[in-house]
Amino acid sequence: MRKSMFVVVALLAAALILPAAGFAASKEIKIGVLYPLTGGAAAAGRVLRAGAELAAEIANQKMAGIDMDMAKNAGIKSMGGAKIVLIVKDHQGNPQMGADLAKKLIQDDKVVGILGCYHSSVTKTVSAVCERYGVPMINGSSTSPALTTRGFKWFWRTTPHDKWFTKDLFELLKGLTEGKVKGVKAVPRAELNKLAAACEKTEWGSHVSEEIKNFAGQYKFDLAVNLLYAAKSPDLSSEVQGMIAPKPGAMLFASYASDAILMVKTLKSMKAKPKLIWGQDAGFDKPEFREMGKDIEGILTRSVFLPSVARVKKVSGQVNELFKKKNGVDLDGASARAFTGLQTWVYVLEKAGSAAPKAIQKACNAIKIPGDQLVVPWAGVKFESVGGETGQNVLGMGLIGQYQMQKDGKIGLEIVYPFNLATANMIYPLKGF
Amino acid sequence: MPWSFGAERAGDESMEALLLAILKAVVAGLLMGLVFALVALGLTIIFGVMDVVNFAHGEFLMIGMYSTLLTAPLLGVDPVLTLPISGLVGAALGVLCYFGLIRYLLRGPVIAQLFGTFGLMLFLRNLALMIMGSEPMIVHKGILVGKSFVVGPGIVLGATKLAAGALSLLAFWGAWWLIDRTKTGKALTATSLDKEAAMYMGISTERVNALAWALGGASVAVAGGLLVNFWPVDPNVGLLFTMIAFATVALGGFGSIKGALVAGVLIGMIVQAPPVWDAMLRLAGSNAGSGFTIHSFKYTFVYLIYFLIMVFRPQGLFGWKQ
Amino acid sequence: MEAIKNAFDFSDFPRLDMGVAGAALAFLLVFPALPHSSFAMTTMIQFLMFSLYGMGWNTIGGYAGQVDLGKAQYVGIGAYTTAVMMVRWDVPFWVSMPLGMGLAVGWSFIIGYPLFKLKGHYFAIATIATSLVLKDLFEVWDFVGGAKGLELPLRGNMPDFLYLQFREDYYYFYILLVMFLAGLLFINGFRHSRLGFQLRAIKDNEDVARSLGINVHWSKIKAYAVATAYVAMVGSFHACYNFNIEPEDTMSLDLSVLIALMAMLGGAGSLWGPIIGASILVPMRSYLGSWLGGQAGLAGLDLVIYGGIIMLIAAVQPRGVWGIVQAVRAKRRRT
Repeated sequence: MRKSMFVVVALLAAALILPAAGFAASKEIKIGVLYPLTGGAAAAGRVLRAGAELAAEIANQKMAGIDMDMAKNAGIKSMGGAKIVLIVKDHQGNPQMGADLAKKLIQDDKVVGILGCYHSSVTKTVSAVCERYGVPMINGSSTSPALTTRGFKWFWRTTPHDKWFTKDLFELLKGLTEGKVKGVKAVPRAELNKLAAACEKTEWGSHVSEEIKNFAGQYKFDLAVNLLYAAKSPDLSSEVQGMIAPKPGAMLFASYASDAILMVKTLKSMKAKPKLIWGQDAGFDKPEFREMGKDIEGILTRSVFLPSVARVKKVSGQVNELFKKKNGVDLDGASARAFTGLQTWVYVLEKAGSAAPKAIQKACNAIKIPGDQLVVPWAGVKFESVGGETGQNVLGMGLIGQYQMQKDGKIGLEIVYPFNLATANMIYPLKGF
Repeated sequence: MPWSFGAERAGDESMEALLLAILKAVVAGLLMGLVFALVALGLTIIFGVMDVVNFAHGEFLMIGMYSTLLTAPLLGVDPVLTLPISGLVGAALGVLCYFGLIRYLLRGPVIAQLFGTFGLMLFLRNLALMIMGSEPMIVHKGILVGKSFVVGPGIVLGATKLAAGALSLLAFWGAWWLIDRTKTGKALTATSLDKEAAMYMGISTERVNALAWALGGASVAVAGGLLVNFWPVDPNVGLLFTMIAFATVALGGFGSIKGALVAGVLIGMIVQAPPVWDAMLRLAGSNAGSGFTIHSFKYTFVYLIYFLIMVFRPQGLFGWKQ
Repeated sequence: MEAIKNAFDFSDFPRLDMGVAGAALAFLLVFPALPHSSFAMTTMIQFLMFSLYGMGWNTIGGYAGQVDLGKAQYVGIGAYTTAVMMVRWDVPFWVSMPLGMGLAVGWSFIIGYPLFKLKGHYFAIATIATSLVLKDLFEVWDFVGGAKGLELPLRGNMPDFLYLQFREDYYYFYILLVMFLAGLLFINGFRHSRLGFQLRAIKDNEDVARSLGINVHWSKIKAYAVATAYVAMVGSFHACYNFNIEPEDTMSLDLSVLIALMAMLGGAGSLWGPIIGASILVPMRSYLGSWLGGQAGLAGLDLVIYGGIIMLIAAVQPRGVWGIVQAVRAKRRRT
């Protein structure tokens, strides 16, 4: 009898104490983070996570040597020093799984908001869940333009999207013909006029394909081939053959990692000789891609962050050093944007002063983060609703990098666009395979 | 398909370009098709002998691919030389599956066979996922990698694909010799023609079945070893090849080795045909399509072929067994 | 009246079975009121969906004995009909769902006619082929959104019973539960119907059935149509529940295989089999997937276990869990 009494009392005590522990824990702000930690984009997922975690770490402590406002405080000052806690989940690149995990994060883990998801297709479903439940979501790396044209009130995107990036490409092509590119004399228009494009048949890729078509028309280039291929296709020989046949001057791609590598290998085996090859980031800006070494020399990729940005922005270098120390690699477009996404969360919470959804929503719509606070070479972060878009950051910017052999014998990216930020002469034309 | 009339007619939108495209498709199709044929060979042998359809066939291919890929750097030799290892692994796996699973499935209804081999497929595929991860891998170093020959008016032949085609032919010849010229081969044929009669003649059905699985496993694993030189391997690569193998065997005729060879080459050419369509379009004065193109459908045609063949001519081209 | 009596006629089951079924039903009815995580709710909804998928599959795969591995294409037809009609023409769920079922059944008659000239594994592979072809077509067809799929827009005034849009999952749960019960009763009626008897005769021995005057070909096609109707109905629900569909998610081979596997594991050809199969595999997948999520070395473990179980069942007791139950009972009766 006594033993069972003891058990009952112990349980009652626990029942009373645990909620109290819950109160103590309210000095935490939980943010759900959804990235692909397994699956085809696992390598990207790992650095995305690392970027977000680094930003949270800097926010939660006072750090000297980082010229950011959030490094000066420990935690969110306007909320009594509350610390950011990241709850990271793996969506495996599956939109359905992403949506289910988002529901779990919102209802079971009771997160204040969500950051994610890299894959545009997953961001689409997760943001729909957030919109349904009225939970704020900040997106750092998904570039499908469609994500901000849905009129959502609970979705904000910090990264510029593919419409802008594709325009950058055409500005570069135009600049080449006008002699504006560092180290290259004006190229005769006829040489570059024919284009061939191959994009993967997904949410992201199909939008890139549309943008390429639109801009080709606008800038008056001849888009001889514009095909969509099944992503993760193991055999692209017929597609590549179809692209080579009209003898295009420039070949354009939108592919994730494994396809990008396969495309280049197939081009090589067919001894293709375009004058210019461009990739819309993703697979073209990954360590695995760089493993091909000399084979990729001269290939262009859209990027959002390169270590060489540190030469023009001190804070980028500071954060990059820290990142490199922890993870062994430099920041890249993915990790830098994940960092920026989490950073935006921190600044938004700071401005909102509370974890209430409406307060966060108000803060997001009003925030303006100056460019000197960011590691990415943007003018800042300011979300606007303009031209049919809602919640899109209008102060972002893209870069175009070119792979060139560095002094240390390894392959690295040099900035060739915007022209005024160029860090090296552009290699043109490509040597061909 | 958006048509834009008035596209510039440069030199490549001509009849020559079309003929070149056809030639390229035929050559590429032939090489690829020989590999498809070798993949299908294993399936047709097993089917011919015991009427079992192995859904995990593509997974055997995948294991063959991984075997060649991983043992090459381990032994420090060229991937071409580790092909026999793949063959051995395939044979061993085949025998293991037979004694460990298939033997029991044979006793049950057809539904049991179907699901047994499906379970095997899931098992092998996800085991590979756990062990190898999901990132695709491909041969990077080797004497043949990256080299190609240019033949005639601009046809580029990759060294790895050439070797794959040649070795595949060699494997076919080896299989034919084994089945037609050796006693063991005759035992195999006898069992597939009439199991009971063969038993009365003293041919152990069990042994023949196991042999069929060994041969089947070995040939598809070797095909994998050839394939991985130019086709990336990941745990899910099996499904597409299982379907291609089925379509090939259906087209060639279930149980016919000659059929597998011919059908494999035909299907290889179909899969390489899209650029020919593009060239024809360009000849007719339109851009080679925007958005979806015939390239997206190259494997859809393969599935359609299976369906149409099975409905309209189930014995395929050379099949004698239904 | 006969038909309705048949649907409620569970007399061929021992009282123990009905007791267990009753308890399970009671649990299902009160589940949303019990404390549960959103994860558990998602799992329960998945369980109900797969039970329905399985019940449908069972008609052709169990009662008729023809293993169909291409059901996902009909899920897609159901889902896309609802999605397209809502997105483009604002059609409520209760109109688009029967339309989706109708379209799916129509398509099933079209391909069913040539398809049932085949048997056994040839048939199975042909079903895979047709499913893959349809999926490929949907991936390039802009009208249905191609590979990007379709997103169902939030109409804003939830709860919305006309268009099936709710914030809380328990609405979905109850609607699905009603469908589940209706489906169960229909299958029970089906078992006792003329078509049900015909199928059993066909499964036993096709030639004998034919000699009895049964039109084997048409019976199979009709069973296939019933299976399709179930699957399309759930597909429509799926579109509304997920707010987003794409070919990779609704029409993939993996889904077809899962549907067949669950029914087979539980016991193809029995009333309870698909439900038992779903009740084992759905939670296993859900919980294993969530525990292992993020641990790279273990991704896929749940399917390795699946595959192992399937192999075991296929080798030892192809009639699935229900087959084991019946075998045990038969043994008990003999001793």
